[in-house]
Amino acid sequence: MHPFAFTKVSDTREALDAGRRGGRYIAGGTTLVDLMRETVERPETLVDITGLPLREVTVTERGGLRIGALVRMAEAAAHPKVRTLFPVVSEALELSASAQLRNMATLGGNIMQRTRCTYFRDVTADCNKREPESGCAALHGFNRTHAILGTSDHCVATHPSDVAVAFAALEARVSLLGPEGERHLPFADFLLRPGSSPQHEQALRKGELITAVEIPAHPRPLRSGYLKVRDRQSYEFALTSAAVALHIRGGVIREAKVAAGGVGTVPWKLPTVERHLVGERPSESLWAAAAERAADGARPLEHNRFKVELLKRTVERQLRTIGGTK
Amino acid sequence: MSPQPQAAVGAPLSRVDGRLKVTGQAEYAAELPHARTTSRGGTPTLKGVVHAVIVDASIGRGRITSIDTRAAERAAGVLRVIHHGNAPRLPYRDNSGSNNPAGRRLRVFQDNRVLFHGQPVAVVVGTTLEAAQHGASLVEVDYDAEQPSTDLTEAEPGEPTRYARGDAEAGLRSSAVRLDARYELARNHHNPMEPHATVAHWDGNQLTVWDKTQWVMGTHDEIAAVFDLPADAVRVVNPFVGGGFGSGLRCWPHTIVAALAARVTGRPVKLVLSRKQMYFGTGFRPAYRYRLRLGSDRRGRLKAAIHDIDAETSSYETFTEAVMGAGQMLYSMPHVRQAYRQVPLHVNTPIWMRGPGFASASFVIESAMDELAHELGVDPIELRLRNEPNEDESTNEPFSTRRLTECYRVGARDFGWDRRSPKPRSMRDGNWLIGLGMAAGVYDSGRYPGEARARLDADGTAVVEAATSDMGPGTYTSQTQVAADALGLTMRTVTFRLGDSRYPRTSPHGGSSTMASVGSAVVDACNKVREQAIKLAVEDRESPLYGVDANDVVVRGGRLHVQGNPARGETYQRLLARNNRSHLEGDGAYNGPGSDRSAYFAYNATFAEVAVDADLGLVRVRRMLGVYDAGRIISPKLAESQAFGGIVGGIGTALLEHTVTDHRDGRIVNAGLADYLVPVNADIRELKAVFLDGEDNAGNLLGVKGLGEVVQVGVAPAIANAVFNATGRRIRQLPITAEALL
Repeated sequence: MHPFAFTKVSDTREALDAGRRGGRYIAGGTTLVDLMRETVERPETLVDITGLPLREVTVTERGGLRIGALVRMAEAAAHPKVRTLFPVVSEALELSASAQLRNMATLGGNIMQRTRCTYFRDVTADCNKREPESGCAALHGFNRTHAILGTSDHCVATHPSDVAVAFAALEARVSLLGPEGERHLPFADFLLRPGSSPQHEQALRKGELITAVEIPAHPRPLRSGYLKVRDRQSYEFALTSAAVALHIRGGVIREAKVAAGGVGTVPWKLPTVERHLVGERPSESLWAAAAERAADGARPLEHNRFKVELLKRTVERQLRTIGGTK
Repeated sequence: MSPQPQAAVGAPLSRVDGRLKVTGQAEYAAELPHARTTSRGGTPTLKGVVHAVIVDASIGRGRITSIDTRAAERAAGVLRVIHHGNAPRLPYRDNSGSNNPAGRRLRVFQDNRVLFHGQPVAVVVGTTLEAAQHGASLVEVDYDAEQPSTDLTEAEPGEPTRYARGDAEAGLRSSAVRLDARYELARNHHNPMEPHATVAHWDGNQLTVWDKTQWVMGTHDEIAAVFDLPADAVRVVNPFVGGGFGSGLRCWPHTIVAALAARVTGRPVKLVLSRKQMYFGTGFRPAYRYRLRLGSDRRGRLKAAIHDIDAETSSYETFTEAVMGAGQMLYSMPHVRQAYRQVPLHVNTPIWMRGPGFASASFVIESAMDELAHELGVDPIELRLRNEPNEDESTNEPFSTRRLTECYRVGARDFGWDRRSPKPRSMRDGNWLIGLGMAAGVYDSGRYPGEARARLDADGTAVVEAATSDMGPGTYTSQTQVAADALGLTMRTVTFRLGDSRYPRTSPHGGSSTMASVGSAVVDACNKVREQAIKLAVEDRESPLYGVDANDVVVRGGRLHVQGNPARGETYQRLLARNNRSHLEGDGAYNGPGSDRSAYFAYNATFAEVAVDADLGLVRVRRMLGVYDAGRIISPKLAESQAFGGIVGGIGTALLEHTVTDHRDGRIVNAGLADYLVPVNADIRELKAVFLDGEDNAGNLLGVKGLGEVVQVGVAPAIANAVFNATGRRIRQLPITAEALL
């Protein structure tokens, strides 16, 4: 670990000041500290923001949810409003990491977490994300867990978050506070695909602070849930996952929100699958036909070809689980 | 001598060191030796300890062209950077002991050659761990890199070790039913919870090393050889081991690095491997490629087997393990041919890992037996019964005991084997296909010479010492049980000490050998003490036992008395006090199985029930049962823990564990517990262990056959066979992952 300075701030203005001077925000530390130990991250200054008042979960006027950036994963997963309004969020959280990590990690940190690509985490390997222009060791290396969607020749690393997949499905917005004030970004615009600059992972301006994630209201009733496919039953990242939310009224799917995890360089929204569902009546054949589109555009690598088929099956299974067959 | 009553042996006792462990008082290698002043610990007895962090080679093969240590040396708290350019030349005297395989062992910092990715190329010593870690990250090493060869499938194997009986080719040709299958087994790492660690301290020419090891004597001998020190100048201490599974069976390079760094800096040095460094700083279960051809008649009587076995070894040492054993003796058949080739690769040297050799071979053989049973339409247990041998056909020796058929019967009944449908895909529970599978397990448990010492003090307590280890099976507890009964004392009044090279010499704590070997020496030592006491009593006119035939005296609860007449006797304390004896001592020895010519193996039948989500490629182990023919069970509670641990390890091998090497540069890409997957609690459901009552007295005083290894043998094939029963998919690669099942 490289030497660093550590400061603790007590209000957002102090935080933004420290951030503007180049300080890195730290809350639960479950990603950043690991990466500092591996010298992948070498911040000069850490700014502890755990004292900021960003720990509220509130129901918005029309029935959406605003989850403060410093709400712990465990708190969010257990929150009655999260559980009743958006089970897909609480399920994604509960299927993440371990109990210990969920007790420490915050929602803001969760969506900021960096990839599990083992070449990224090994400072002696080539990695464009860690060291621009050094090359991508994963592209022709061991890439079983890597992405098949949203990749580039510069980076094929998967975004590891589960709850971000639920947020992407539900078209959440990220609330940001910067020196120029507050702004809100759609989730799809917040996390960046690697393109030719995989070192840029979020659309954050210097010193900007995540204050909350806001899930918009969706028409009710809304059935939702998260399916995670992984090698072992706990404490493991997704090979594939599917976040599904369906609004079915009068026997017809009126709204469908679907995203996939474990397969994309960012949480992968599946608009073609959604379009295939809306206006249709639930049926076995509908789920299969819709899921058939889930891997459109996939660019599999040597060791992750299986994810193409697995992704379709994961989406199909979760559509059936949430939508039923009637 | 009258046989001693057995009060402690066979009792389901908790660990005698359990409280120390759960209260954090058990001292592991990385914890500095403390003077125990209070029950809560004490002050460190070593002053001025500094920290060492190894710099690992970032190429897989080649030469170091330069090392720039300037930035590291400038960093605060860094004391020294040691590498091949400035390290003292070390004698590295030959040492064919210490579990060193044939070859030329890795010599730390003695030249500029890099033999594998991660090889130690420098060590940074700092006043704090953080300073040393930071310093290590600042060392700049330049290399002249060459292409390493790390792929077992592409490299040239060495000369095979061969075995043959009969004419296997002809036997196979004339077999009515033939199988020809190729298997691939991934490399596995032990991943004990406790990382390997060393504290080294020189006092003049006296070197004391606190080291995580399963064999203080082996480490002692290796250090003496490397530094060319007289035996009595080296002491190795390791009272507690936080898991080993075999990884502590050798003295690894980092132990030498720590001792070297301590000598160069003149300070006590602590060196703890990071989890990542455990993947190349210590050994591993080698990957295998294994082709098995098997022939039988139409009734399933085996005729011939041809085993072609390729396994990883390093470029500098030839590691071998008992992968040929099971194929020679598990089933009766006239014709067997085996060729076992070690494939030298640019990797570090493997080491034995739980159930070594047998666990790997059993996956192949037991998968093939299941396949054959399916081909023939015969129940897998019935097929095995039809091939049960009457003797070890590789040596024509009789089995000491072999109760494998009983394991099958008991297991089948207990597990509900009759509920299994032999037809794949015929049992279902919602999205899950259900399958039942079984496999036989066997292990060639070791019996090696060793010594022990017992001392009975005037206060009626005893101390027993041997330089063995307790990597987790509960050696402290089980040896205390054995000693307590042999001395006629209670558990509370006996202390068993281990893990110090100053104690009587023993063989390695591995190969399921400790109870038969060390236990026999402990019994011998304790018998000698008890016999001395009895002799003292029967010859002492003032003793109530005066004149009694020594053979009629037993000791129970610290009291000597006439067998069958507890009223006539006295305590050890009275006896020793009256005779002005401060203590009695006995040196015990075990000389190995000696003239015993029987085939001595432990067995199991392992059963698995799995659920497979065939759409998503998921395998979940719902239930497992192991039935063990392991001789006498000294400590039932510990034995059950052993069995569960072995089954969990086997589940890991079957479904999760796979050390992945990037063949482009020899890098291990999943060197950490986040990426090398072991089972977590949620993966483990219902486990059950059943031990057949009985004993096997072949060449040991305790009637045991060893347990810790055999419990993992057979687990992976039982699971793979259950997966076949569930899905109809025969998976011949370990681990069985989603992509294989989609």
